[in-house]
Amino acid sequence: MRVVVADDVMLTREGIVRLLEDAGIDVVAEAEEADGLLRHVRLARPDAAIVDIRMPPTHTDEGLVAAQRIRAEHPEVGVLVLSQYVEPSYAMRLLEEHPERVGYLLKERVFDVAILVDALRRIADGESVIDPTIVSRLVGRRRREDPLAELTEREREVLSLVAEGLSNKGIAHRLFITERTVEAHVKQIFLKLRLAAEPESHRRVLAVLAHLRASAY
Amino acid sequence: MNAWGDDRVTVGRYGPIAIVPFAAAAGLFSVATARHDPVWAFAGASTLGGIAELGAAWALVGAGVLFWMRHRQNRLAPLLIGAGFAWLLPEWTDPQVGSALAFTVGLVGFVACAPLVAHAALAYPTGRLRTRVHVAVVATSYAGALLSLGLLPTTVFDPKAAGCFQCPQNLALIRGDLELFATFNRYGLWLGIGWLLVLCVLLVWRLVRTVHVAAVVAALVPAIVYVALVTWEFQHSLTRGILGNDSFDQRVWRSEAAALGAFALAVVWGLVRERQARATVARLVVELGEMPRPGAVRDALAQTLGDAELELAYRRPDTGHYVDGLGRVVNVRPGRDQAVTPLFRGGVPVAVLVHDARLSDEPGLLEEVLAAARIAVENEQLQAEIRAQLEDLRASRARIVETGDAERRRLERNLHDGAQQLLVALSYDLRIAQAHVEADVGSELTTLLTSAGETAQSALGELRELAHGIYPAILAEAGLEAALATLADEAPLPVELGGTTPERYSEPIESAAYRTVVEGIDDAAGRGATYVSVDVGREESRLIVTLRDDGADRTSPLVHLADRIGALGGSLEVGGTTLRAVVPCV
Repeated sequence: MRVVVADDVMLTREGIVRLLEDAGIDVVAEAEEADGLLRHVRLARPDAAIVDIRMPPTHTDEGLVAAQRIRAEHPEVGVLVLSQYVEPSYAMRLLEEHPERVGYLLKERVFDVAILVDALRRIADGESVIDPTIVSRLVGRRRREDPLAELTEREREVLSLVAEGLSNKGIAHRLFITERTVEAHVKQIFLKLRLAAEPESHRRVLAVLAHLRASAY
Repeated sequence: MNAWGDDRVTVGRYGPIAIVPFAAAAGLFSVATARHDPVWAFAGASTLGGIAELGAAWALVGAGVLFWMRHRQNRLAPLLIGAGFAWLLPEWTDPQVGSALAFTVGLVGFVACAPLVAHAALAYPTGRLRTRVHVAVVATSYAGALLSLGLLPTTVFDPKAAGCFQCPQNLALIRGDLELFATFNRYGLWLGIGWLLVLCVLLVWRLVRTVHVAAVVAALVPAIVYVALVTWEFQHSLTRGILGNDSFDQRVWRSEAAALGAFALAVVWGLVRERQARATVARLVVELGEMPRPGAVRDALAQTLGDAELELAYRRPDTGHYVDGLGRVVNVRPGRDQAVTPLFRGGVPVAVLVHDARLSDEPGLLEEVLAAARIAVENEQLQAEIRAQLEDLRASRARIVETGDAERRRLERNLHDGAQQLLVALSYDLRIAQAHVEADVGSELTTLLTSAGETAQSALGELRELAHGIYPAILAEAGLEAALATLADEAPLPVELGGTTPERYSEPIESAAYRTVVEGIDDAAGRGATYVSVDVGREESRLIVTLRDDGADRTSPLVHLADRIGALGGSLEVGGTTLRAVVPCV
């Protein structure tokens, strides 16, 4: 797999590159800021770009903006945004316009290179990836009348994995159950949460996240 | 023009009335002389003549005295009074006058009334001549009247040599020379027609320029008629070579008396109008009550003076800036047709009035109105100053809060860009080291590296929480709605976000609203609440944050939060289980 890495801090960029190379992933280019990243993506046509959310000049959301541009201009290139913020708003913003082949992971998550590699694979497969910390915060959110209380333990597990962006197949694989069972669980979950009929698979991540975030409980 | 410049008046208000008995005596003396020897008199023995004599003189003196009582520093009053006395002087040249002094004064001041009236009309209502041309022409006319037709002929006029044996002695006589006397008179008349015509032109020109001010028109028209009549009389006298009192002269003289009466009445009418304006504004000021709303004085003045564009700005004594009634800084910039009148207290400027320039032409109107409004203006100036000081304080409070926020934000960024990045890099390195060691045997070193990696991970987590607590980056980058949603995600108790606002506000306002929710949630959790509902919404130009919970009643007044909201000019209402912050926003 060929990737481009963009991070303005040399230490972390080098760290990511070494981790990726050790895992056998081909880092075709490195960038320090958004323009360089876009140029490399255009020239190298990687499978995915790994982008730090904070980059020059304002160090706010340049990475997010660049990610959206890459998805718009190069639909075949996936984007994994690395962030230091546990902010569902950013993750949802990323999903809103291009709900597939995108990922939002906390920077330290990459420490476990297996997670990084898994995320890149899933993105390449057309799934989306949402950091489990964000999902668990949303699922674990305090509610007055918690509709999630109606869910069984297994259904909650499935719900979290849906929110993390896994496909039914991915969930089945993760939980060692059949895909058919996953489908049944998902159907049940959507019913219990009074969510509209299950949307297209790559849209359902956003729908679930938005529902978890909604405050009308 | 300086309003309230008449602070130093010490003479009693009714002092000028002392003139009245003298005017009465001089008038009666003149009429008595005329009746005694009607042949040489203008008034003659007729009642109409007597009325003309006394009416014009007393009207002028009366108007002068009234004017003087109202405007002590104004030089118009002496001119009017002088004109009233001068009107009587021709009668004093009567051979039967019986007093050498009166006779001599009469000879010298025979035509003094004309320049005095013209001067008064040109200087009406301020008492000051406007241009150097006016000053020069008026000075020339005084010289023409008092010297070439007054003192000079008198010094060579020997009444006895001229055949007047009853005449009193001419006290100013130096050397009798009838030929020179005739020559002086002839040239004086020609010269007189000259300056009288120039005075007419100046008066008419002023009338044209000030035709919009009724009171000035009312005074100028009779003055012009009077000066024109005098000119006509001079022209009539040219063939005779000397001013006299034939039947034509007497008819013109009576018309002059009527014109002078009208002139005096116009001056009195102007005073009445001033008083009316003053009474109106005084009534308005009383209606303003003890605590008028800010800007009420300006409105009252604008209404009374009929100038909608009028502006009243108060000067701040310490900074010299000008502020409005609310204490807000304003720029004093008069428009094209506007004039600025500064107002003083004890010689110190306290305010400026920007008004229609034409108001300056109204006789005393501005001064009267400002005099009536004086207390109200001074009162409002003090209040404006207090408001301005409060605004200064509020602004400085806001700056302190803003500085604090900026500092927190900087700290948050430094944590993210510095320590956090280094920790991330460290954890990557640890991971790589671990991978290399795993290739060997493992054991103690592997365990150590794994543990170090975990420590780095939890350090990262804590650092992130710390940075977020110091300042939530999402607030500045995505606004209140996103930041409050995250706040609700993390809260230790259920937080129900009702209305929120996707709109962006200035950083201090967003920070204040966010802090209100943060502290409100903490406070509710501390009082054992099981949920908090949060509503954020805009009502016109105010952002309103409302929190409700079901905890025990609050005992803490949330002073810090109140300070923060107050710094933005907002208010915090702290109830038992409710909290409502109102922050003004643009």
